[in-house]
Amino acid sequence: MTFELERRALLRMLGLTVAGGATLTDCLKAFAQETDAVAIGWPVDVPAWDPNQRFSPEAQSIFKLVFDSPLNQDPKLDLVPNLITKWELAKDGLSLAVDLRGDVKFHNGDPMTADDFRYTFFERIQGPDKIDTKNSWRKISDIEVVSPTKAVMKFSSPAPTAPQWLAFLGSYVVPKKYMQQVGVEAFQQKPVGSGPYKLVDYQLNARIVLERNDDYWGGKPPIKRVTFEVIKDPSARVAAIQSGQVDLTTNVPVREVTRLQHEPNLAGEINPITRVILLQCRDDQGFADDNVRLAAHHAINKEALSKAFYAGAAVPLSVPVSPDTPGFPSDYKFAYDPALAKSLLAKSGFGPDKPATIGFATTNGQFPSDFDIARAIQQMWKEVGINADLQTIEYSKYFELNRGDKLPEATLYSWDNGTGDPEIFTGYLLNPKLPFSAWKGMDVGAKVLDLFNITDYQTRIDGYKDINKYAVEHGATIPLLQSVQTLVRKKSLSYEKFGNGWVLANTMKWG
Amino acid sequence: MMSSLLPLIGRRLLVSVLILLVVSLLLFVVLHALPVDPAAMSLPPNATIAEIEAKRKEMGLDLPLPQQYLIWLQQVLHGNFGDSIHYRRSVVGLVTNTLPATIELAVLSIAIAAVLGVVGGLVLFHVRGTREEPVIDFGSILLLSIPEFLWGLFFILIFGVALQWLPFTGRLDPDLRLPHGTGFLLVDALLAGRLDIFWSALRHMILPCFALGIAFSPTIMRVLRSSLIDVYHEDYIHMARLRGLSERRILLRHALKNAFLPTLSLMGVQFGFLFGGTLLVEVIFSYPGLGNLMVDAVRNADLPIIQLVGLAYCVVVLIINTVVDSLYLLLNPKLRLRS
Repeated sequence: MTFELERRALLRMLGLTVAGGATLTDCLKAFAQETDAVAIGWPVDVPAWDPNQRFSPEAQSIFKLVFDSPLNQDPKLDLVPNLITKWELAKDGLSLAVDLRGDVKFHNGDPMTADDFRYTFFERIQGPDKIDTKNSWRKISDIEVVSPTKAVMKFSSPAPTAPQWLAFLGSYVVPKKYMQQVGVEAFQQKPVGSGPYKLVDYQLNARIVLERNDDYWGGKPPIKRVTFEVIKDPSARVAAIQSGQVDLTTNVPVREVTRLQHEPNLAGEINPITRVILLQCRDDQGFADDNVRLAAHHAINKEALSKAFYAGAAVPLSVPVSPDTPGFPSDYKFAYDPALAKSLLAKSGFGPDKPATIGFATTNGQFPSDFDIARAIQQMWKEVGINADLQTIEYSKYFELNRGDKLPEATLYSWDNGTGDPEIFTGYLLNPKLPFSAWKGMDVGAKVLDLFNITDYQTRIDGYKDINKYAVEHGATIPLLQSVQTLVRKKSLSYEKFGNGWVLANTMKWG
Repeated sequence: MMSSLLPLIGRRLLVSVLILLVVSLLLFVVLHALPVDPAAMSLPPNATIAEIEAKRKEMGLDLPLPQQYLIWLQQVLHGNFGDSIHYRRSVVGLVTNTLPATIELAVLSIAIAAVLGVVGGLVLFHVRGTREEPVIDFGSILLLSIPEFLWGLFFILIFGVALQWLPFTGRLDPDLRLPHGTGFLLVDALLAGRLDIFWSALRHMILPCFALGIAFSPTIMRVLRSSLIDVYHEDYIHMARLRGLSERRILLRHALKNAFLPTLSLMGVQFGFLFGGTLLVEVIFSYPGLGNLMVDAVRNADLPIIQLVGLAYCVVVLIINTVVDSLYLLLNPKLRLRS
């Protein structure tokens, strides 16, 4: 009997010890996981693990962890040194001399030299690889390697934005020796970069697991392991952050951010970024008349759109450039004035009783609240005397419709420009040689094309400020709002905010 | 037995080739009639109009549609399904990488649908003519009227967010790595002797499989009940009663065996729908299968992927139908004798 009791007591003690130990271990494990690792719910996967291959703005926050770009941008989007420590664009814009760091190693231990730089930005561009950087570096005619840390990029025509492109989409240095040794396909299976993290596990459309590169030349990031859970459905991303399955997520509906802000352990953010929402306009058909286009612009209450769909965080725009970027003319404002809109329409013989009729296209789900914004604009137009026939199109159809000259008079469009440089705003959006511009009038197009050859920075920027105002005043474009990036994170997780929406795990830390 | 099966499989193969040809033609025509520009989608945003035109020519998009189809068919017959526009990788590799995940999901879901359907069918049959019948009947109609993606969202909210019992993204816990092998995660985990991976994979499959399974079970329930009611009018059931067999034995040993045959046919058809239903469920649960790949392909106008995934769905459905027909033949001796 005595033995029985002792045995029971002993078993109970053992049980308690095991349970207590397990709980303690779980707590320690959870603590260690929280301080050492971060799980991010990300809306898209990388298109491929060759960083030069496809331009994907959403993938930049992942690529930048594994690969290094020659130049970088600081949170305010100013260019800062990265692999390149010093750069100088020639006055004629035909060459760019660069000094490279000498202490950078790829994840396989190979040193990064000017040969890798030449391979990435010249040999691959000229070679058979199907890479998007062929388009961004189409002007490159050679890269002269002066020494392992010095090179000169040479261009066939002036390339005033070459430094900006060295920090932009797809411009990541890849290791020449390794890539030539294994080939592009094997490289994609086991990519090697020089970034702060190494890829350790990848499941297409599901998960990306990165481990800290302890030998990183830029210093060890605070978090050891980063897991990107690819969650494409916005509701599932909301559920994942709310249930704690991820520590941070982006691109959730604005109303969900507002709701989740009330959760005690979560922080919600609506951050304006370098993405603009605008109406791409035709210069013919129902929009042939300047008065109709300008009336359509004056009739839109952008403040109201921002309040209704972006909790007031989206900044109303007068030009197709985001504020605090070089091409933004801070002294210029295009007024919301429905009375003026009515009088402009009246001059052309239109009014609420005899409305002007136009076609109006929008995507549905391409960016937050796009369809709702279009419907609100349709109502605002109706009040001044413009009847818009609203149709929904897929984003992928935009190019085909524009190519076939079948876009309606106005199309709701969103444009992302991580550099903030005006060439990649107006220079692309209103460029008659590129597939985006619905405006075919050469009055604006010729001015835009001229600016591509201006190499003096200030002259170029001033030129874009002028063309921005000119385009708006002639109704060639109707800018609406600076778009926002929504983000929800655990309160104890901090990160550095970038003006272009990069969410970089190497800037994250707990506590 | 094999002498009955082989001609059936042979006939099925012949028909399948014809069906695949027709489906491929339909897919090709419909996809190329859409106002999307695969050439523009395959180039970066800063490609000029001239470069896009050159790409169109390179992709053969300027040729007449019948000629494009014949070129494509010729390439397909040589095993070349082309490269993805978005991923710039062989579409065969992409589809073979993702297909096992979807098959695994669909097979487990149909198993759940079958279990729920058969049990539910028996319950519905059992309560026929009683006061419980309208209530249970109403329940089955309610189940029938909720689509699988809605079940998915309900389950995420209840079991993922509110109770936090089960994971609802991906296939495995973050600290586990996918084992190499067949691509069928449960099989690979067992082959590798990794019960932790098996358990994690199973936990990740519970919610999507139940979302799909529950949505498809009511039809099975209702067909089984109707079949049982029909079968109960047969003479051999009366004979069994006269022989003094218990109702339970009559139902399970005699009636169910025969009533199950139409249910089996239905399950074959259901599997086709269920396989299609994985599309939305995979997106909601971030499950890296064929459906997820397809949704991306549609967004990116990635025609080579859409074509092959469409054909892959068709092949899987044809295989399942052949298997079901074979099973039907095996289970029904009368058909074997006739053939």
